[in-house]
Amino acid sequence: MKRHLDFAVLVDYWFGEREDDALEEHLFACAECSARLEELVRLGAGVRNAFRSGALNAVLPRDFVERLKSEGLRLREYRVPPGGSVNCTLTGADDFVVSRLQAPLAGVERLDLVYVGPDGEAQATFEDIPFDAAAGEVLVLPSAAAVRAMPAHTFRMRLVAVGAQGAKPLGDYTFIHTPG
Amino acid sequence: MEDAELAAAVSRGDGAAEAELYRRLAPRVRLYGLRHLRDRHAAADLVQQVLMTTIERLRAGAVREPAKLASYVLGMCRMTVLEMRRGAARRAQLFELYGDMEEAAPESQPRVIEEARLADCLAQLAERERTVVLLSFYADKSADDAGRELALAPGNVRVIRHRALGKLRACMGLE
Repeated sequence: MKRHLDFAVLVDYWFGEREDDALEEHLFACAECSARLEELVRLGAGVRNAFRSGALNAVLPRDFVERLKSEGLRLREYRVPPGGSVNCTLTGADDFVVSRLQAPLAGVERLDLVYVGPDGEAQATFEDIPFDAAAGEVLVLPSAAAVRAMPAHTFRMRLVAVGAQGAKPLGDYTFIHTPG
Repeated sequence: MEDAELAAAVSRGDGAAEAELYRRLAPRVRLYGLRHLRDRHAAADLVQQVLMTTIERLRAGAVREPAKLASYVLGMCRMTVLEMRRGAARRAQLFELYGDMEEAAPESQPRVIEEARLADCLAQLAERERTVVLLSFYADKSADDAGRELALAPGNVRVIRHRALGKLRACMGLE
C-alpha cells in the first residue's frame, strides 16, 4: 500500500468500521497518513470541547441526552406539548437546557424546525432535522452559552412536517425565558 | 535517519537514538491505542509498554529485522492490546517502572484546532450533519449505532458524516 490513504478511509478506520491489517501497516510506516489521522483525532477533541462548553445548538436523539445525564451533567428539561408554553430559565447550577417538543411524528417524512418571531414570521428554518418517529418528541438543545446571555424574552419554535402533500405545522411551542 | 539505522543506534545504547525512536513512533502507538482501546490513559499506558519493550528488545539484539522497525512496533501494539484487554499484570508492572516518562510528544507539530472557529464551523453545518458529528465524536458512535439512534441506514450516516467532516475541514482550513 504505497499511496496515501483517503481521508474517508481514515474516518471509517477510526470509527471501527474498517479492520484492515495492511491499512495499519501503512499508518505505522507513513508519517503523513499518521499525521492526518492525528488531525482527525484533534478535530474530534475540538468537537467534544465545543459541545461541553455549551457553544453549540443541536437536535439530539434521546439516548444522547441520557448519556449526558449519566456523565453527571446537569440538564434542565422542559417537556412541551403542541400549542403549549412554558416558563424557562438556565441557572448557574445547570450545564444544559433541553426542550422536549412533543409531536405526532408517525408517518412524517421530513421535519423542519422553525424559529418564529413575535409577529409570527419565520426567523430561521432548520430543514430536515433528525427525529425518531417512534419517540414522539424532538429534543432541542440550544447553546447554553447563548441562553445564558439572553435577556428576559418570549421565544417560539414550530415543528413542520414536510412531504409530498406539502408542509404541515405540527405545533408551536412557546418559551417564556427568564435569565437564571 | 532510516529505521534500520535508528534500530542499530538504539541497540548500541545510543540515548539520542532512543529519544528519536520515541519521538517518531510514540504518536503512532498512541493513535493505535486510542483507536483500539478508546481511552486516553490506556493509550498512554500502551505507548510506555510498547516502546520500552521495543527498546529492551533492540538492546538485547532480539529484533530480527531492524529495517522493519515500524512493522515490529505495530506487532507489539497488537499483542499488547490483547494483553491489556485480558488485564495482564505486566501492564501495572511496566507502568510502575516507567510511569513517570513524559507523554508522547507529537511527531510533527500538529496544527492547533482553534475552538472558537470550530464552534462557528459546526454552527454552519445542517442540523442533521451536526447531530451525526456529535454522535460520532462526542458519543463515539459508529455509523451502525448512530443509524439506530437516528432511524437512518448506516450508509446514510456515513455519507452525512463524510460530507460534514469535509465541510468542517474546509471551514477550518485543514484541507
